[in-house]
Amino acid sequence: MARIFVEGWSPEYGAPLDAAELAPAEGTVDDGVEGVDWAPLDGHDDGCARIAFVDGVRRIDARLTVDDQLAGPIPGLCGTLAIGAVLWDRAAVRSEVANERVQRWAVLAGGRAERFPVVDLTPPYETMAIATRDGDALVHALQSTMRAAEAALATSLAADRCVFADGPLHELGPHEVVGVVKSHRVTYLDAPRNAVIAALDAGQRTPLFAIKDYGRYSWYVRLARVEDGHAWSGLVRCEASAHLPLATVRTIADRAAALLPLVASQPHMDPRAPQNLVPIGALERDLRHRMGDPGLVYRALRAAVAERRAS
Amino acid sequence: MSDDQVGRVLGSEHTSTATFRVVVDDDQFLQLDDLVVVRTEVPKVGEVRTYGVVTEAEAIYEGARYESDTHRIAELGIMPAQKVRSATVAVTRVDPEIWVSADPGEPVERATGDERSRALYTDQMERPLPVGLGRDGAPVHIDLDFFDGRKGGHMSIAGISGVATKTSFALFFLRVLTASPEVVGEGAANLRVLVFNVKGEDLLWLDKPNARFAVADDAAEGWAAIGVAPAPFPSVRFWAPPRRGIADLVPDTGGRLEGIDVFAWTPREFVDLGLLEFCFTDANDAKNQLPFIRERVQQQLQRFAVDVEGRPGAIALRDPRDQPDGRWHGPIPAGQAGPIVTDLPSLVAELETILDPDDGEPDTAWTGRVQLSTVSAFLRRLHAASSRLGHLVRAGDSTRIDRDAANVTVVAIQSLHEQAQRFVVGALLKETFQHKEATGQRLPLSVIVLDELNKYAPREGTSPLKDMLIDIAQRGRSLGVLLVGAQQSASRVAPEVLENASIRITGRLDAAEAERAEYGWMLPSTRARARLLKPGTMVVSQPAVPVPLVVTFPFPPWATRREEVAADGEDPFAGL
Repeated sequence: MARIFVEGWSPEYGAPLDAAELAPAEGTVDDGVEGVDWAPLDGHDDGCARIAFVDGVRRIDARLTVDDQLAGPIPGLCGTLAIGAVLWDRAAVRSEVANERVQRWAVLAGGRAERFPVVDLTPPYETMAIATRDGDALVHALQSTMRAAEAALATSLAADRCVFADGPLHELGPHEVVGVVKSHRVTYLDAPRNAVIAALDAGQRTPLFAIKDYGRYSWYVRLARVEDGHAWSGLVRCEASAHLPLATVRTIADRAAALLPLVASQPHMDPRAPQNLVPIGALERDLRHRMGDPGLVYRALRAAVAERRAS
Repeated sequence: MSDDQVGRVLGSEHTSTATFRVVVDDDQFLQLDDLVVVRTEVPKVGEVRTYGVVTEAEAIYEGARYESDTHRIAELGIMPAQKVRSATVAVTRVDPEIWVSADPGEPVERATGDERSRALYTDQMERPLPVGLGRDGAPVHIDLDFFDGRKGGHMSIAGISGVATKTSFALFFLRVLTASPEVVGEGAANLRVLVFNVKGEDLLWLDKPNARFAVADDAAEGWAAIGVAPAPFPSVRFWAPPRRGIADLVPDTGGRLEGIDVFAWTPREFVDLGLLEFCFTDANDAKNQLPFIRERVQQQLQRFAVDVEGRPGAIALRDPRDQPDGRWHGPIPAGQAGPIVTDLPSLVAELETILDPDDGEPDTAWTGRVQLSTVSAFLRRLHAASSRLGHLVRAGDSTRIDRDAANVTVVAIQSLHEQAQRFVVGALLKETFQHKEATGQRLPLSVIVLDELNKYAPREGTSPLKDMLIDIAQRGRSLGVLLVGAQQSASRVAPEVLENASIRITGRLDAAEAERAEYGWMLPSTRARARLLKPGTMVVSQPAVPVPLVVTFPFPPWATRREEVAADGEDPFAGL
């Protein structure tokens, strides 16, 4: 009989693994790319001194409706996103938040050509239209914009830093960017391999496996042995671009296994511990702060729309 | 951006008309007692300047949520955070008086020069007298109008003993006062100061240069900033009681004998000045009928006392009933005098034969029908007084303290029994007060410095001495009699005396003492600091400035003990 566990994450964040979607993605995974025995590998810190963690946050400021007399009501939304990085200077033992950018978007469904009125906020709202009339697609558009901005920042930082980006890789160029995936929706490996994942100790990784259809290498890293945790707790899945040479990917995989446990969060401090890394958590708080007070933003939106109606 | 800018008014919490906080610029700092100014543009009014004094300085990692985040930020470096230093400012002044709070985000500047004077109201003081140095090394003033009786009077100094700050500060203040005739103005030359030396012999060297002055840190600079030449007191006379058991008048002091005059009262003076009341200064003596019989005896003594030919200062007690108008005129021959009163024991002996005669009833003219037990109690106290302060009353030429002999009169009472100390203090205060009452003039000023005020005007009980100190506190202001009272704990002193002091000074306080209501004029932050003040640092409160200010005062150029006295020919002030 398998045991039952209570997940460590706060329930509002979902679970680190979503059983319904944990369907094996057979045929797309090559677990032999590294050419080593399938057994836990110790991480190795190669001394990379300049590290960056990249992340973004978004918020829906308001839902919009375009009242078209003929086409009927058309949904839209106003959203704010913020991206940025924590630069960890290991030599100076200092971290700082840098490269923050805030964007505000009015997203209209149905390919509408209306422009959202000028709102008295910095930065102002830009308008984009998407073809579908699906409400979920609006959020998705905002999300994609954010992911693209994150990826662009990660790519630019990768020129002279080791970059860890939150979430799966969005851009698969030959840049030394590691995507750190906190939750596990898919089991990529077969049963014996999954046993190796269960055997990982903190600071160890699995051998690399290639997810061919998506052009990336991946590996699992155990951040911490969670007390009373199940085999998959305290685990993240990392990604690197398949456009990088294998030797480079092995180096950064070893580095990730060695470094990520150092910045893992504590359960009493972060509802998504240990996977939500300390710099990422701090960055998200900072970015949310920079998006501006939601009440004030909402008020400014209504004022701008009311002004246009009056004029 | 101004050179004086140190930061900006914090905007993440409310500012008020009483206080605001400053976020300090990265390349600046603010420390306690620093003075700052903020300019706020007020609609319909224009620029309003808010002046304030720093009462607390703070720092935090912004972004740290848990205490252990400090390790992640400073030790591991894995967490981003911003070090933020801030300061809390207590508003001292708003100019013009439009009581609005400082705007958030406005630049905060250090108040220097004219702005500093405005922050401390010095520009509004008609007669600013330095009372110490601020943290910036520049003088902090009090408005002399609030000390010398024009708008207020008296000074109260509190602080734990042992760090000698109370007396040192009082002397520093006196030195500045006596050396600032241009501030004191009319009557400055005749200013009279009466100081009681109650402990050690610290005050017996005021006229001697201090050999350690030259090596004391910042001493010369401090006096230069105050604007007073560092020198011993130029005009000072020392008085000490006579040594017991010696017929000659030798001052009862240990370290210094030369230059000290001996004081005592003759029996004639004792009677004329009504000093008998100061033999009953214990707060318990006011119970029963003792004050009644004491007053009776005092009146009778003045009627009965007659001078004796050839015996200066001595008296005899003879009934004046047979005299032409019932009073004695001129001395009588020694042969007719009967027992002659030459000192306190002989006076007590005489009184005993009158009040408690071996044969028959006492004369009710003296006792006023009080119970015999009261008479006994009265005599018992007189005997006690006689043994404790008997040596202060002796016949001979008058050796009363001459308060006009110098600006500063130091009376050394440290060697006396507590009862004798109260006697001397009472006698001299009465003399001073009566003199001023008689002239009715406020000028020249008469300043009285009295340490251990709680002994003379205790909170509980009543005594002639306490009554007189209360009288001085309440009426002395208009008569130019100014009390500089010092005590370890204000809570043990009669509230009437404290409440009338316009200028309040506090040195280091006992932690429990600092929480008492008597120190309600201090800000909470000042109270907390009062436990930690170093010698030479005082908190000053005055009516003209709404917040207490912390000042330091420079090392004294006069010696405070024998070892400090500079040898002859050695000039510690050379080169100043």
